[in-house]
Amino acid sequence: MIDDLLQKLRSGELPPDEYVEKTYEKLERIENRVHAFITIRNKEEVLNEVKKKVKEKGKLSGILIAIKDNISTKGIRTTCASKMLEDYIPPYNATVIERLEREGAVIIGKTNMDEFAMGSTTETSYFGPTRNPWDLERTPGGSSGGSGAALAAGIVDIALGSDTGGSIRAPAAYTATFGLKPSYGTVSRYGLVAYANSLEQIGPMAKNAEDLWLLYSIIAGDDFRDATTISYTPPPSPANVELKDIKIGVLSDIMEASDKSVSSVVKTALDKLSSYGVQIEETKLGYTEYALPAYYIIAMSEASSNLARYDGVRYGFNSYFQGDWKQTYSLNREYGFGIEVKRRILLGSFILSAGYYEQYYIKALKIRNLIKTSLDSLLKKYTVLASPTMPILPPKLGEVIEDPVKMYAMDLNTVLANLAGIPALSMPVGFYNNLPVGLQLMGPYLSDDLLVGIAIKAEKILGYYNLTASL
Amino acid sequence: MKIEVNKELIKKLETLSLIQLTEEERERMVNDIKKILDFFDKIDELNLENVEPLFHPIRPEKLRKDKPLPSLSIEEALQNVKRKQENFIIGPKTYGE
Repeated sequence: MIDDLLQKLRSGELPPDEYVEKTYEKLERIENRVHAFITIRNKEEVLNEVKKKVKEKGKLSGILIAIKDNISTKGIRTTCASKMLEDYIPPYNATVIERLEREGAVIIGKTNMDEFAMGSTTETSYFGPTRNPWDLERTPGGSSGGSGAALAAGIVDIALGSDTGGSIRAPAAYTATFGLKPSYGTVSRYGLVAYANSLEQIGPMAKNAEDLWLLYSIIAGDDFRDATTISYTPPPSPANVELKDIKIGVLSDIMEASDKSVSSVVKTALDKLSSYGVQIEETKLGYTEYALPAYYIIAMSEASSNLARYDGVRYGFNSYFQGDWKQTYSLNREYGFGIEVKRRILLGSFILSAGYYEQYYIKALKIRNLIKTSLDSLLKKYTVLASPTMPILPPKLGEVIEDPVKMYAMDLNTVLANLAGIPALSMPVGFYNNLPVGLQLMGPYLSDDLLVGIAIKAEKILGYYNLTASL
Repeated sequence: MKIEVNKELIKKLETLSLIQLTEEERERMVNDIKKILDFFDKIDELNLENVEPLFHPIRPEKLRKDKPLPSLSIEEALQNVKRKQENFIIGPKTYGE
């Protein structure tokens, strides 16, 4: 728990030297096997910052945090796991980084991810894949896989990720950690390298629900630099709900579409909650088989437009090719982007081109509306909606990466919340053959405090929190 | 309207996207894009005639004042430029030798 750690640092029980030394020693021991980070900051620099910050009275004074490498950090390389930005150093901080620094957090490094957050396994990274600390043969999920792995390996207690279609929740589920995809507009995207604006949010990742809330309460809030943030101040503490007042709607269509290994663990967890008085009922969302194609059509369309900015001339990979503008841009982008990124840009350009815009893009947006309407109406009836976070157990490295449609299928359960803009949380609820399984809870728009409040109750009953893989 | 995915289409998309693929990538893209478009075509099963498209989950209504704010210095703004001269970025040529 961050509160305990903060207490120990403040009282002197854990001197900064020991805290930082232990963390770096662990990094040295396991990072070459896990590869959670793209950039690790210099130890002396970090130690000096911790020493200075520990004396301040912030909510995270002196606490080390890992940041996904698509969140801009002034003076610290931010690569998006792409060759395109291999040596890019942002001249400014993302709003969330400013907020964290104000509370005394110290960045230890930037975590590995799928290139430009395009992937569900952290294998599309230009810097090589991250491995799952619970089983090094397997992926930690993605795209915020480095953040999940850094938590599960016990390197840090808190981390930031970003979630466009499940990129926080997938690694949370696969690494037995907690992740929240916040309500759209509650966390500033200023300084988040854009992939699909209308879908994505930066969000917290932690090892228990209390720390998840602490981190969310710091990063959330209105920002004049992001016109899509709303006037929102997170409540001082997560909702304190009585178990008997919680009515969970279990999405049977998602349960059925998920592998038995995963749904059986989720069912056992829900049964246990039910024995504590939580009301559990089966319900159906509908349209689930259309959600995934609709999501990918929208995400690729937005991506092709967002990634148009990478020309290699103003910043990013430059081939030094001596040709005209078009040739130079085309070669810089050919050498700078990986295959999955190219695939999504080409498809996005296709979908938005004359003749296909109506056929794909507009139809996808209509399906988005149907899904949002269906979710909103179910959430009037139920406190939250539950399903497995991921439809399958963590795949082995290389198992899904060669087949894009197979990889996209992993996002079936998670894209719903992004399409609708509602909050969704993943928490560990058990293991199947020693592999972590996550439960996803979706709530009404702006019910983030309620989701975390329920998770705080549920983690105590189920007993899966503060878990670290032995490496 | 079923589109035929072939190398010609991929070349057209390369021009639209400003990405010049290698021949090998182009071949791979034909297969991948065929497969992905088949996966997308699922959406044709639904009758969506009376449904409004939802572009964005919320309606951003916030505009900030049209007032200049402090911004990056020239040095900061140009710190990631590979080819520059004084305070200018050197770009590709605009016309022949």
